[in-house]
Amino acid sequence: MVILMSFEKNLLEMKKLIKKKPTKTQSLKSFVVPQKPNYTTAWEDAGLTMIENEFGIVFEKKTIYEPTYFHGDIKLSDVFEAFSLWNSFQGVHPISTDGQQVVFFDTETTGLKGTGTYIFLIGQLVWKENHFEMIQHVLADPSHEVALLYESGLWKPGHTIVSYNGKSFDWPQLQTRWVLNRDHLPKLVDPNHIDLLHGARRIWRNELDQFKLTKIEEEKLGFKRVGDIPGYLAPIIYLDAVKSGIPTTLLKVLHHNEWDILSLLTLFIHTTKLILQEKYNDSSVSSTNIGKWFSDLKDFDNGQNVFEQVINQYSKIDAAQAFYLIGYEYKRRKQITLAYEAFEKSLINLPDQLQIQAYEELSKIDEHFKKDFSKAKHHVGLAIILIDKSKNLKPLQRSRKMRIFEKRLQRILIKQNKLFPGEAQISTGNE
Amino acid sequence: MIKKQTIADILTEWKKDPIMRERIVHWHTIEKKEAGLADFPEDLHPSIQQALKARGINQLYTHQRQAYDSARNGKSFTAITPTASGKSLCYHLPVLQSIVEDPSSRALYLFPTKALAQDQKSDLNLLIEQMNQDILIYTYDGDTSPGIRTKVRKAGHIVLTNPDMLHSGILPHHTKWVSLFENLNYIVVDELHTYKGVFGSHVAHVLRRLKRICHYYGSNPIFICTSATIANPKELAESLTNDTHKLIDQNGAPSGKKNFIFYNPPIVHPTFGVRRSAILEVRDISKRLYNEGIQTIVFAKSRVRVEMLVTYLKELNKKKLNDQSIRGYRGGYLPSERREIEKGLREGTIRTVVSTNALELGVDIGQLQACIMTGYPGNIASAWQQAGRAGRRQDEALIIYVAQSTALDQYIVNNPSFLLGQSPEEARIYPENLIILMDHLKCASFELPFKTTEQYGEFEIQELLAYLEAEGILVKTSDKWHWMSDRFPAHEISLRSASQENVIIIDRTIPVSTKVIGEMDRYSAMTLLHEEAIYLHQGIQFQVEKLDWEEKKAFVREVDVDYFTDANLAIELKVMSEDQKKIFKNGSMSYGDVSILAMATIFKKIRFDTHDNIGSGPIQLPPEELHTSASWLSFDRPRGWTDSILSDAMTGAAASIASFIPLFVQCDRRDIHVVPQVKSVHAELPTIFVYDSYPGGIGISERVFEVWPELLAHVEQHVMGCPCDQGCPACIGPQDAVVGVKPEVLKLLGYLQIELTSNGDPHVI
Repeated sequence: MVILMSFEKNLLEMKKLIKKKPTKTQSLKSFVVPQKPNYTTAWEDAGLTMIENEFGIVFEKKTIYEPTYFHGDIKLSDVFEAFSLWNSFQGVHPISTDGQQVVFFDTETTGLKGTGTYIFLIGQLVWKENHFEMIQHVLADPSHEVALLYESGLWKPGHTIVSYNGKSFDWPQLQTRWVLNRDHLPKLVDPNHIDLLHGARRIWRNELDQFKLTKIEEEKLGFKRVGDIPGYLAPIIYLDAVKSGIPTTLLKVLHHNEWDILSLLTLFIHTTKLILQEKYNDSSVSSTNIGKWFSDLKDFDNGQNVFEQVINQYSKIDAAQAFYLIGYEYKRRKQITLAYEAFEKSLINLPDQLQIQAYEELSKIDEHFKKDFSKAKHHVGLAIILIDKSKNLKPLQRSRKMRIFEKRLQRILIKQNKLFPGEAQISTGNE
Repeated sequence: MIKKQTIADILTEWKKDPIMRERIVHWHTIEKKEAGLADFPEDLHPSIQQALKARGINQLYTHQRQAYDSARNGKSFTAITPTASGKSLCYHLPVLQSIVEDPSSRALYLFPTKALAQDQKSDLNLLIEQMNQDILIYTYDGDTSPGIRTKVRKAGHIVLTNPDMLHSGILPHHTKWVSLFENLNYIVVDELHTYKGVFGSHVAHVLRRLKRICHYYGSNPIFICTSATIANPKELAESLTNDTHKLIDQNGAPSGKKNFIFYNPPIVHPTFGVRRSAILEVRDISKRLYNEGIQTIVFAKSRVRVEMLVTYLKELNKKKLNDQSIRGYRGGYLPSERREIEKGLREGTIRTVVSTNALELGVDIGQLQACIMTGYPGNIASAWQQAGRAGRRQDEALIIYVAQSTALDQYIVNNPSFLLGQSPEEARIYPENLIILMDHLKCASFELPFKTTEQYGEFEIQELLAYLEAEGILVKTSDKWHWMSDRFPAHEISLRSASQENVIIIDRTIPVSTKVIGEMDRYSAMTLLHEEAIYLHQGIQFQVEKLDWEEKKAFVREVDVDYFTDANLAIELKVMSEDQKKIFKNGSMSYGDVSILAMATIFKKIRFDTHDNIGSGPIQLPPEELHTSASWLSFDRPRGWTDSILSDAMTGAAASIASFIPLFVQCDRRDIHVVPQVKSVHAELPTIFVYDSYPGGIGISERVFEVWPELLAHVEQHVMGCPCDQGCPACIGPQDAVVGVKPEVLKLLGYLQIELTSNGDPHVI
C-alpha cells in the first residue's frame, strides 16, 4: 500500500518513461560468471569465508562442535545411540535412518513461495570423523545462485536429509531453484528425507498446541534461545544486507539457522529414543501416540507393546487411551474378553468422541459375542445420553451419530424381544 | 383449452393490431442461411474423424476448415464465431491432432470465467471419449483439489483455466509446470471480445508474461482466438497477444429465420416527451410470451433491474407453490445457484430467465426461442450476442429490442440501421496504462529476473525497472534485475477491477444461521449497499442494516417494502497536468491527468410502479480517490448567460455527450464519466470534463480528445431531432423544471462547435 501511494505520486513523472518498440526475441539463457558484489571484503571481515567456484562465489561459515557438546539437555553424540537404535530396529518407520550419511538440513528464504523467492542460506550439520561440523552457505547476491546451489552439494546422491517441515517447504523450494538453474547444475535427485515436523505432530498431538520448533525446544529439549531474531524477519534482513552491504544483522540469521539445525539433531535423538527405547518417555500422551503410530503403520506388535508399557507405567486415568487403543488390538486378534476389559477400563477418562466409540465397541461385543442384549442396550443407552449432552460434537456429527445409535438400539430391542425372558444365553467369547 | 400460440401466430397478430403497429417502429427479418461446408482435412487423424462422425458430423463448416489449415501452418488466427456456430471445433481439431501425433504436445485454453472452462471440459471430454484416445484434460482453477494438482501440471495434455488463475496460480509457479511450458504448442483464447477495457489490458499483460515464460522454456506457441462479431477482431487479438493474426471472418454455420423487432414504448406525457417505462413494457411482453409457453431470455442492464423484473414476473405464479419456472441470473449469485439455473434452462423447466449481460457469454444454456432486450446493451457486439441467444435451427426466432428513454436508446430505435447495418464497434485495450504495466512488470520480475538488456513485450522497460529498484523491490546485479522482496505480487493485483476487495453480503434474517448470499465490488457498493439501501437478490428484498466498510461486509435482513433505493455520487475533480492542448479564440480542448474524489451523498426511496420519490437519507461513507486521464473543453461564458442557465444547459449537454461517447469508442457507459463545471478550479472557466473510470486511464478520454468536433455535431443533431419540446430523458436527460432547457442546450452545443471549429487554425501548444 505504501508503495502504491508513493507510486501514485510519481505517476506523472513516470508516464514519460513508457516507451514502445517492436518486440525482439532475446535469449534468456547462456551462462556468464557474474561479477562479485562490492561488499565481499565487508562480509569476509565479519567472519564469513568467500569460496569461488566455476559459477561465481558463495560465502561460507563453518562451525565445529565436540561430540560432548550439549545443546539444551541433550548431548550431540547421543545421536549415535539413536542411529544404532534404528539399525537394530526390524520394522519400517518414517523416522528410520538406514546407514546413509545423515545431513541435518535447514534453509532460510526471501519469501514464502513462488519463483521470486530465493534461498539465501543453506545450513547442514554432519559428523566428520571426530567432530560435528556445521556448514552454512550464504548467497552472495542473487546472481550467484548457481554457485550457492552447486557448493551445497545437495545434488550428491547417497545421503539422508533430516529437516523440520522440509518436505512441504525447503525441498520444494530447492527444486524450484534447481529448475531455474538446471542448465548449469547436475541433476537434483530426491534423497531419503525425514521430516521431523511430521513426527512431532504425531507424538505430541493432544499435548502441544503449537509445533513451532522453538516451542518444542522449550517444552521437550530443555533449550531456551536468548537473543534470537524471529524467523519472519529473516527475508528483510537478507534483503537489507544485499542492498546495504552490511552483514551485521545477517549474522544473527546465521545464528538462528544454527540453533534450528542443532535442535533438529537433538529432536531427532529425543524422538528416536521415545519411539524405540523402553523406559524412555516423557508423558503418557506421547507414548500412547507413539503406540498408535505403530498400529497405523501396521506394526501391531510394537503398537501393542507400547500400549502395555503405558498401562504398566501410568495411572489408570493416564492410561485410559492406551486401554482404549489396546482394546482394538485385542479385538483384531479376536481376544474378545481382553478387548472387553480394556474398553471397560478405558471409560474412566476418554474424550467424548472416543468414549462414544468405546460404548459402541462394548455394545457390539455384548450383542454379537456375549448375546447379552440388556447389557448391549445399557451401553447404547449411555452412548445416546453422551451424544445428547456432549459439548464437543458439531451439529452434523451429533445427528449422524444419533441416527447410528438409534438404529443399533432398535435392532437390539428386536433381538431381545425374540427371546423369552431368561433364555438369553451368555457366551464367554473365544479366547 | 386454448391452443398455445407459436411465434409466427403472435407475429401475425401483432401485424394486425393497431396499437402494436404504432409501437413497433421497425420490423426486420433475417432470412434463413444455408451452411457453407468443406471436407475433412486429409491428414485429420482417423480417431478424430470417427468421433466427428459419431456426432453426425461428416463435413466441417468452412470456417472450421480454414481454422484447421491456419493452425497447421503455424499461423496464429482469430475466428469470428457467432453464438452456436461450432466455434469450439476451430481449436479442438488442431489441438487434438497435434496431441495424437505427438503425446508430449500440450495446449492451454483460456476462458474468461471458471464456469465457461468447466462447461467446455465436459464437452471436450465427450469428444475424446468418442476418439477413444488416451488424452488427459483438466480444468485448473481455485476448485481443483490439491490431490490432483501435480497430475494436472505434469500430465495434462490440455489445461483449461482462466486468466486470473494463470496470473496468480500458474505463472508465479512456472517451475512446477515445466512439461507444459516446454511443450506448449497452442494457446486458445476463447471469447476474445470480452477482453477489453481494464480487464483486457490486464490480460494483455498476463499473456505477455506467459509468452516470456514459454520463451524461457524454449516453446513458441501459436494463438487461436475466437470472438463474437466486433469491428476490430484482428487488431484486438494482435494487441492482446502481441502477435500477428490471420482473420477468419467468413462463417459457414447455418441459421434459422430471425424476426428483429424495434419497440418504442408509448409517449405518456407529450410535452416532456416522457415515455412509459421500458421495464413495464418488458414485463407485459414477457408475460405474454410466458403464457404462450415460449422460452424467453430477458436482458436487463443492471442487477437492480433484473431483480425488479423478476419480482414483477413472479406475480404471474404467486399462486403456484415453489414455482421455479421464472428465474433471475446475474453476477453475485453463488456458483451452485447459477449451475442450477443453467441446467433448468437446458432442460426447459425454466421458461423465462431475466439476466444481466452475464448470460451473453458462452455459458451453455441451449438455444431459446425469444430474446427481449431492455434497452440497448451499450454496444452493437453485445446486442448481437444477446440476440444470438434466441434461435433454434428449425424454429423462427423472435428478438425484441425495447427502447428506454435515454438518448442512445431513442437514437437506436429511430435509426435501426445503426444496429442492423453498421459494423459493430471497436474493442480497445490499453496495455500502456502505467499502473497496469507496472503491476505486471512486478509480476514478471518475480517470475524471472529481467536482464539489463531485455525488453518486455513491446515495451522498453529498463528505466521502469530502475524505478522499482529505487522502491526497494528489485536488486540490480551485473546483468540482471532480481526480485528482492518477501511479497507475492500476483496476490496484490486483481485483473478484474480497480478496487480489489469486494464487499461480502451477509444475510442475518435468522440470527443463528447467517449466510453469505453474494458479493459486490467496492465502487458499486457505495451506491447499492449503503445503510438502509434495499438490496434485491432473486426477487427477495433485503435491507442493508450495517455496512462495515473496514471489513468490507454488508449485513442485510429480509424485508417486504414497496420501494427501491437510488443513491447519488458527488464528484470533486482537479486537473493535475495538461499533456495536450488545442487553443481557440474563445475556448480550448485539453487532455491530461486529473484527480477525482467520489463520495456517495444521499439516497432516495422510490416506489415501485409509480416511481414516486417517497423519502431520502444521507450516506456516511469515506470518499474514494481516483487518479486518471481526462479530456476537457473550456470555453468563455456565452454573453448574457446567468450561472443557473449555464449550469442547466451544461448539465443537459453533459448528459447527452455521455450517452454518445460509447458510439465513438467501444466502452461501457460506466467506463467514462462526464462532469460539467460552471467555473472549473484550474481555469476558472466553464468546463466539461470526460474522464476514464479507471486509475491511470484506459485510453477512452484520449480518443475523445481526438473526436470532440464529430461528437458535438452528432449530439446536436440528435437533440435537435428529438420530438419533445422542452427536453426529455431521450435527449438531454431528465428535467426537473416544468420548462426545460432544450433551447439553451442547443444554443450551447452550437456555440461550442463554432468556438471549436470555425476559428481558423487552432494554436497548438
